[in-house]
Amino acid sequence: MVHLKSKFKVFLLILFGMVSLAGYSQKVTVTGKVTSTTDGEPLIGATVQLMSDLSKGTVTDINGIFTLETAMGESLKFSYVGYLSREIQLDATAIAGGQINIALEPNSELLDEVVIIGYGVQKKSDATGSVIAVDTKEFNKGAITSAADLITGKVAGVQITSNGGAPGEGSTIRIRGGSSMSASNDPLVVIDGIPISNDDIAGMRNPLNLVNPEDIESFTVLKDASATAIYGSRASNGVIIITTKKSKEGSPLTVNYKGSVTFSQLNKRIDVLGADEFRNLVAEKYPNQTGLLSDASTDWQNEIYENALGTDHNISVGGAFKILPYRVSVGYNNSNGILKTDNLERTTLALNLNPQFFDNHLKVNLNGKGMFTNNTFANRDAIGAALQYDPTRPIYEEGNRFGGYSYWKQNDSFNALPVEQGSANPVALLMQKEDISNVKRYVGSAQLDYKFHFLPELHANLNMAMDYTDAAGTVFIDSTAAFSYDALTGGGQNNRYEQTNKNELIDFYLNYNTNINKHRIDAMAGYSWQHFYRTDYAVNQNLTGSISDTSDNPTEYYILSFFGRANYVYNDKYLVTFTLRNDGTSRFSPDARWGLFPSVALGWNMKNESFLQDVDFLSQLKLRAGYGVTGQQAITDNDYPYLARYTYSQYDASYLLGNTFYYTLRPEAYDANIKWEETVTYNIALDYGFMKDRFYGSIDLYKRITNDMINFIPIPAGTNFSNYILTNVGNMENTGVEFSIFTRPVVTKNLLWELGLNATINKNEITKLTAIDDPDYLGVETGGISGGVGSNIQMQSVGHPVNSFFVFEQVYDQDGMPIAGLYVDRNGDGEITYSDRYHYKKPAPDFILGISSNLNYKNWTFSFSGRANFGNYVYDNVSSENGVYERLFRPEGPYLGNIVPAVYESNFTNPQYLSDFYVKNASFFRMDNMSLNYKFDNIVNNKIDINVSATVNNAFVISNYKGIDPEIENGIDNRIYLRPRIYVLGVNLVF
Amino acid sequence: MKNLRNIFLILAGVLFLFSSCVKDLDTTPVDPDDVTAARVYETPEGYKQVLAKLYAGLAVSGQDGPAGQGDISGIDEGFGQYLRGYWYHQEFPTDEALIAWNDQTVKDFHWHTWGSSDVFIAAMYYRLYYQIVACNEFVKESTDEKLDEREISDADKTEIANFRAEARFLRALSYWHALDLFGSVPFVTEEDPLGSFMPEQITKKDLFNYIESELLEVQNLLVDARANEYGRADKGAAWMLLAKLYLNAEVYIGQEKYTDALTYIKKVIDAGYTLTENYEHLFLADNDHLDEVIFSINYDGFRTQTYGGTNFIIHSAVGGTMDPAEFGVGGGWGGLRTTKEFVYKFYPNAAKSLQVSPQPKNLKSYPVIEVPGAHQGWDPATAPQLASVNSDDVYEGYVWFPTTGNAFKFTQGGSWAINWGDTGADGTLEPEGTDIVAGDAGYYFITVDLVNMTYTLLKTEWGIIGSATANGWDSDQDMTYDAETGLWTATLELVAGEIKFRANDDWTLNYGDDGVDGILEMGGANIVIEASGNYIITMKLGTPDYTYSIARGSFDKRAMFHTDGQSLEINDVGLFTDGWAITKWKNINSDGTTGQNLDYPDTDFPMFRLADAYLMYAEAVLRGGTGGDQTTALGYINELRERAYGDESGNVENIDLQFILDERARELYWEAHRRTDLIRYDMLTTDKYIWEWKGNTKEGTATDSKYNLFPLPASDVNANTNLTQNPEYGS
Repeated sequence: MVHLKSKFKVFLLILFGMVSLAGYSQKVTVTGKVTSTTDGEPLIGATVQLMSDLSKGTVTDINGIFTLETAMGESLKFSYVGYLSREIQLDATAIAGGQINIALEPNSELLDEVVIIGYGVQKKSDATGSVIAVDTKEFNKGAITSAADLITGKVAGVQITSNGGAPGEGSTIRIRGGSSMSASNDPLVVIDGIPISNDDIAGMRNPLNLVNPEDIESFTVLKDASATAIYGSRASNGVIIITTKKSKEGSPLTVNYKGSVTFSQLNKRIDVLGADEFRNLVAEKYPNQTGLLSDASTDWQNEIYENALGTDHNISVGGAFKILPYRVSVGYNNSNGILKTDNLERTTLALNLNPQFFDNHLKVNLNGKGMFTNNTFANRDAIGAALQYDPTRPIYEEGNRFGGYSYWKQNDSFNALPVEQGSANPVALLMQKEDISNVKRYVGSAQLDYKFHFLPELHANLNMAMDYTDAAGTVFIDSTAAFSYDALTGGGQNNRYEQTNKNELIDFYLNYNTNINKHRIDAMAGYSWQHFYRTDYAVNQNLTGSISDTSDNPTEYYILSFFGRANYVYNDKYLVTFTLRNDGTSRFSPDARWGLFPSVALGWNMKNESFLQDVDFLSQLKLRAGYGVTGQQAITDNDYPYLARYTYSQYDASYLLGNTFYYTLRPEAYDANIKWEETVTYNIALDYGFMKDRFYGSIDLYKRITNDMINFIPIPAGTNFSNYILTNVGNMENTGVEFSIFTRPVVTKNLLWELGLNATINKNEITKLTAIDDPDYLGVETGGISGGVGSNIQMQSVGHPVNSFFVFEQVYDQDGMPIAGLYVDRNGDGEITYSDRYHYKKPAPDFILGISSNLNYKNWTFSFSGRANFGNYVYDNVSSENGVYERLFRPEGPYLGNIVPAVYESNFTNPQYLSDFYVKNASFFRMDNMSLNYKFDNIVNNKIDINVSATVNNAFVISNYKGIDPEIENGIDNRIYLRPRIYVLGVNLVF
Repeated sequence: MKNLRNIFLILAGVLFLFSSCVKDLDTTPVDPDDVTAARVYETPEGYKQVLAKLYAGLAVSGQDGPAGQGDISGIDEGFGQYLRGYWYHQEFPTDEALIAWNDQTVKDFHWHTWGSSDVFIAAMYYRLYYQIVACNEFVKESTDEKLDEREISDADKTEIANFRAEARFLRALSYWHALDLFGSVPFVTEEDPLGSFMPEQITKKDLFNYIESELLEVQNLLVDARANEYGRADKGAAWMLLAKLYLNAEVYIGQEKYTDALTYIKKVIDAGYTLTENYEHLFLADNDHLDEVIFSINYDGFRTQTYGGTNFIIHSAVGGTMDPAEFGVGGGWGGLRTTKEFVYKFYPNAAKSLQVSPQPKNLKSYPVIEVPGAHQGWDPATAPQLASVNSDDVYEGYVWFPTTGNAFKFTQGGSWAINWGDTGADGTLEPEGTDIVAGDAGYYFITVDLVNMTYTLLKTEWGIIGSATANGWDSDQDMTYDAETGLWTATLELVAGEIKFRANDDWTLNYGDDGVDGILEMGGANIVIEASGNYIITMKLGTPDYTYSIARGSFDKRAMFHTDGQSLEINDVGLFTDGWAITKWKNINSDGTTGQNLDYPDTDFPMFRLADAYLMYAEAVLRGGTGGDQTTALGYINELRERAYGDESGNVENIDLQFILDERARELYWEAHRRTDLIRYDMLTTDKYIWEWKGNTKEGTATDSKYNLFPLPASDVNANTNLTQNPEYGS
């Protein structure tokens, strides 16, 4: 895809070339044809420029023909992506016959285009694994504060779901559906050679916020085991390698400013009853309770949401000072969320130095990154409260003791105590709670690559890095807040927390690379040491400090690895790659901690075979097949699962014996034999390209089998210090097809259209869950919902996809209305019991489609990218909880609560949480961004490039799902932070 | 070759680096709160902290209160708390308690429709085994050999030996719960390893024998009854548990063991426990250290927090019109009520036989003037007040003059700045006039008209008249005035009918209650008395509004119901206001102050108490156990009833088994005994006793006898192939 990028630059040059050539003497009109030396075929869209003014020129048409008016004696430059440029002086010889015919030679260096793989790079043509690179040119546009958003929808098999609409909110990334149930499903993210910890950082919305998206040069996604196995035990969920921008030796000084203003707007609201409708319904359903109604009409969602502004500024300076190429950048982002009081302020610094010494034998790459974030988190309880708080209540009630905000009272007096269960005033929730954090993260790395003087084929590479994060935050709730009122201890909260993360890395590897006749060998062996340490400190107390709870939890783990890779290519046709990694983790016992992760892959460059060499329409054809084993040890919140340990209780869980409260000591459940989870991946793929890669892409078929899943499952009672334990039980399979195509449907002088499409089908199934196969075993409940405390809506069962909904089959009356509490007696025992529930649909889509398009017309570029998911289902928890009449009036306060109009579709009085009525098809198409860009010509003698753009992010969603947003990672729709529509105006200056 | 040597040197150096780093993988926890098993048992303190966990396992749900680091998984932490789970199992399938909530399968308990996938049943079951395994571990780690190995001092060894006996008691307690709830269950002791194996299932008979033998042994090892530290088990607890095991032996193993039961109940009774004077105090925030309690699960508003335990019981019982403050909580959870069949245990003859006076509603405040004088030290700021009910400068009220010839004046605004007297004693008021002097000592009705500057004084004596009284509408029953409280009271035997209050045996001044709002109106409507009984009637006059209350006098004070806004009939189990609410448990101290924390009660849960032992004694005697006698039994029962009634009016002369069952309900309701009791009487599932919503019908119906036991959770039957499910529960 890199050549698309070059193509674009050329195109811009062409745009400059549309300038009149009037004023020259000795005018001459030149025509000609540009062809390829390899096959004599015409090159479409090749550039023809005047050497005297590169901004002038033209491109060849569909037959490779160009026409240009110029002067005799002028020199012309012919260039084409992937080919060496040529220059021709216009003289009599050149235009003999009235036509200039030029044949361009393929640029072998460009054919050697490389892709980044783990611990090194590889010629793309030699790659045997599923490796997809996405670079700056293809990145999504607009208000991107999180790195992952850059490639949403761009890569087949990669599903990126933002966790909500807050500024800087994180995303859930799934590559080929995820491989685990209880362990992490997040891919390994490697930033400039440093595998980063995916652990959440306190007070930070998203660990990936470390990198300013503007500093990112490329994303490389490693999908199959042949590509990922070099990362061994952390590679089961795929690997994303992020490379940041660098300067090259001899680069001219370039200053780049990019700035934007964003305007976020709520584009949909959760439908709730209006004040009048609410009044009428209360009067109808609870005629004795109308005395609880008030006189106001408040639209609570109006009161908690606002249009939000944000700004983003980035300046980078790149160049080379003598032998020292450098790039320095500063980014500043300040974004408000649409939920009032929500704000993200982030400053990023990045410094990159990459000098070379000793006659280029020693390459040094020094990298420093800093990120400073101030977050103000809006109180998200307000989102739910805005649904439920009585719309007939006013916002304010001047002069009361609870900050003047209205609230539910225990009796009629003005300053009565609040009803504990009554929903809180949404505005009070926002205004009376302050939740701020300050996070500083520093990453420094030094990479030394030494090419041995005595043996230049051998490189030694040493990489040392440190990733340090210091986070601190405070949560403060006013003493007057009714929602935190406590008559005895005083209301309010004053919590503090701090977190320090310290991750260290040392990598060392040797790389040997040689060509002997038709044999090419690339071998690498290395060692890696990584240490992860974190400590969390928190003090939770009320305002007077009479209740105080302090916790301090340091923890650490190590991963050691030995790894190697051998890549052998014969005659540019036959490729073999072996990788082997031996990983050790401190998380497992000495007997179980070392895991061996091999992979092997074969490739066949069919295009290079004699029988295809002459098939002109085919520009590339490569068959790849790979097999590999990867591992997983990313266990959430326990770094010592194999050790017999005791844990002290907290202050508030102590026990009185005699006159002393004892902090108790609890034996922890453990599995002394816990070991790696393993995923075996088979991948077979075809890379194709037609018509000089005017169409190209890949088809991948894969099967991933996870064995010995690290699983949190019930164990026989009486055998351990809990009923569930983290152990290796269960298998799971993902089977899928990925298809991608990139094409340029229109290439003309003024108009260029580039289109990328990708599609993924993934099927997930749990194939084993118990140590002994038992067809009667129902499974493990999961998916807690809001409303019925402790109720779960999903069930992990053998033969079903992960997180399948597990529900009753609703019975409907003749009008199609569901009948409350009446379900199909699926097991036919004459009773409706829990055993009548069944597996019905799942949150993961069957089919994912991504589309992105770039349309250039003269100085204008219009681009968009969007995604569609099909077959994903959502449990509408908003309706199941709030779409019932009984929530209108709660006698335990008593208080009134608002409900959603979905109640009219069910007429339920009491909640029917487990009905399949609430499991809805949430297939959707989302237009992630649409962008219009204009490039100005001739500014300050072409010394400055100016680009102006207007973008809409999250432009629209098409879906039959009636809830607020069909795109919900875990499939349970419950008061998501609404994703706003964001308008972005941006400007980019380069000089 | 030189090249190769260089490479070799580099590799050698790198290998050296590797081998030193491999040791990094041998980590131990860096968190000082997180200790390895070996270190825990190095000191006696460590033993005690683990012992504390064994007790806390009954009280809280994990290592972080109220929730955060749960002991068991797969269920909401509050639901998975031991006592809450036990309470659910022992109360919900019976006539004593219903819950309004929709939590998962919770209502299946009421319907008797639970199955082996039930999450609450699984939680209880796994809770039991959590306790059992933790106790096993402690027993294993506290053997003499281990203590010697760890060089624990002799004094500490004796102490730890006590701990060990308590751990064995706690294990026996949980195994008893397992036997009672589940019957034949997996069996593990300290002999079993930890880790992946499948425990064998033990028969009920063998489990019975195991519990019996353990208790018989530990009863000799434990600290003497009433001699241990608060919160820890002693001989009394072991005897009580043995007695319970024997009393139910027929259910468990088909053998009668009533004589054995009596043996150990007598040991308990003879140990010197005494009944708490006031029944109500057993369930309050300061119910620790009561001499009646043999073994309890203890809570503290700050130090021992959970969403289960008494926190659940107290919060869930509050809803509807109940004032959370009266229960020492910030708000109710609106869940628990009871059936009418349970109400009938106290009030067998009438659907609504509990007289409660309406809570005064809509009390208003009015413009006032004061009556300072000799009766109170001439201080307008603290003087009795008269109020102008219509804000028309005409004031009225009642003032007590303790002595004859009491002098006084009227003031406004709480100071002498504005004051009136009656210069010349002519019945008209003058600003700054001379003192007014009343006649005889007494309770005066005073009116002041500041428009016409007049006033009146009328000495009053109050009485109650009406068809509910002994003399009907013919003459009054006198009330007496208590100057200390400012209340008029009378204790009367009333029949169903009506009453009014009147002064001086005359209708000139009389009060009734219009709108039954608890506020008296001059000439207001008659007040209805719904049932005959002994009543204490109180009237508070003083400054308007005037109020009154009517309370049962001599009656069974264990009947603690809240009926305002609650219907006796339960048409909708999901509605808190269907069914009478129960006010037995509170986070209020016996002196009326509130517990430490509105969210987490201080109230302990008495698991075993003397009253239970008395009732068990009587039952064991009636069931044919030898070693006791009926006279003693009757004496014990009447001790309980005298405490309940406050006098001998509730005493009985004959008792039979049905009476004992009902008396157990009255004495021990909502203390997690009911299901076991009903099964012992074969009434849980049969048609011998039916209550509302038993078997999932409004009227109630018999259910399958399989529901006398809970099923083993399907998850364990699946995980452990040695297990056979209880009859008729399928797999």
